[in-house]
Amino acid sequence: MTFHEMNPTIKFLTVTLLMFGLAFIYNPWTPLTVFIGILILQSLFSSISWRRWGLFMIPFLFTALGTLWTTLVFGKETGGEILFTLLGNDVTAENVMLAATLALRVLAFTAVSLLFTLTTDPKRFIYSLMQQGKLSPKIAYSVFVGFRFFPILKHELMQLYETHALRGIRLETRLDHIRHAPKLIIPLLAGAIRQAERIAFSMEARGFTGEPRATYEVVPVTRSDFLMASLLLLLFGVSAWLGIK
Amino acid sequence: MLKSWKLKEIVLLAILSVVFAVVYLAFVHVGNLWAGLIGPIAYEWIFGIWFIVSIIAAYIIRKPGAALLSEVLAASIEMMIGNAIGPRIILVGIIQGLGAEAAFAVTGYRRYDLWVLMLAGFGAAVTSFAYTYVMGGLAALSPTYVATMFALRATSGMLIAGVGGKILSDLLLRTGALEGYAVARQGRVHG
Repeated sequence: MTFHEMNPTIKFLTVTLLMFGLAFIYNPWTPLTVFIGILILQSLFSSISWRRWGLFMIPFLFTALGTLWTTLVFGKETGGEILFTLLGNDVTAENVMLAATLALRVLAFTAVSLLFTLTTDPKRFIYSLMQQGKLSPKIAYSVFVGFRFFPILKHELMQLYETHALRGIRLETRLDHIRHAPKLIIPLLAGAIRQAERIAFSMEARGFTGEPRATYEVVPVTRSDFLMASLLLLLFGVSAWLGIK
Repeated sequence: MLKSWKLKEIVLLAILSVVFAVVYLAFVHVGNLWAGLIGPIAYEWIFGIWFIVSIIAAYIIRKPGAALLSEVLAASIEMMIGNAIGPRIILVGIIQGLGAEAAFAVTGYRRYDLWVLMLAGFGAAVTSFAYTYVMGGLAALSPTYVATMFALRATSGMLIAGVGGKILSDLLLRTGALEGYAVARQGRVHG
């Protein structure tokens, strides 16, 4: 029983519910326990690369810090005893608690999100959405096409750089390439749109009608999916209770 | 809703979503770095970027649902490429898409002038701000600061998404790649 095997649609719903719940809680302890709890659950019931986890986490550490000081400096007036003054704003104990809550909320959101992102295979998620979520096959298969487009777009982009180089545009450093990118977006999109039209034609030529269809891969719903979901909800329940206490 | 859609229109929608998902993600990282320095307000003035696919898709395809679907798809693809905003981003996509869609629905899906596109950018700003208010806990901030945030986001939505989306689409139209879509037909009717 791991988060990797969990039914993606159920995982998606649980995780979303958990984050919604967090948004209505205004004490720092709940997001903190959720954050720690998620880390424990993740190390028990999944095998992910923690290095990758860390890399994803770093930018949100910045956001959390930004949130922390913004809430201190631009916090609303709460009344009560003033602890200290920061850049002309009187900071009360309540302001500090609020700032800690919001900063920890950013971290908890990120941990919960990564629990989903790092353990979910996109293809399985789409299949599951089609099978359990009644997602239209027209949309589902268009998303698959979209995915197939990544290498094509990359290839076209390289080709565009080469054409521009042939015309005498010298781009040497990586920064030059990034600066030049806006000039390529129109030709890149125009090429992509033409490709999209051809792909749609060939899908129809192969008999794709957009009706519900037999699938090769069946994503099941099992009892352990509900077990994992209740584990996550239990974590939230305990954290909320700890926060109130 | 999808009955009246041709497959090529849906595939176009998916492709636009893929391209803009990459752009969106790039700007999430730009925003994040900024946000460490100047706080969540860092995202506000560039927020219009995250509405642009709605406006472009609706302007080109001109069918009910284009603004909403494109934004939701772009968000889903962003999530699947892998980022730490995770599944929440799909919710954001739905909320932003609905805001933009509202502007086209109000005008009966018949007008796609610049002011309607700007209204769509504004609509997306309104709904997405409501979401930020709840999830980001903006109630903890002083009302003046929150008002500044909203003003920045609304302006950005109207200018970057509304005006920018139209400029980008019109440039695309000039390449001839959009011949088979509603936007090209519209042009011909008016000469």
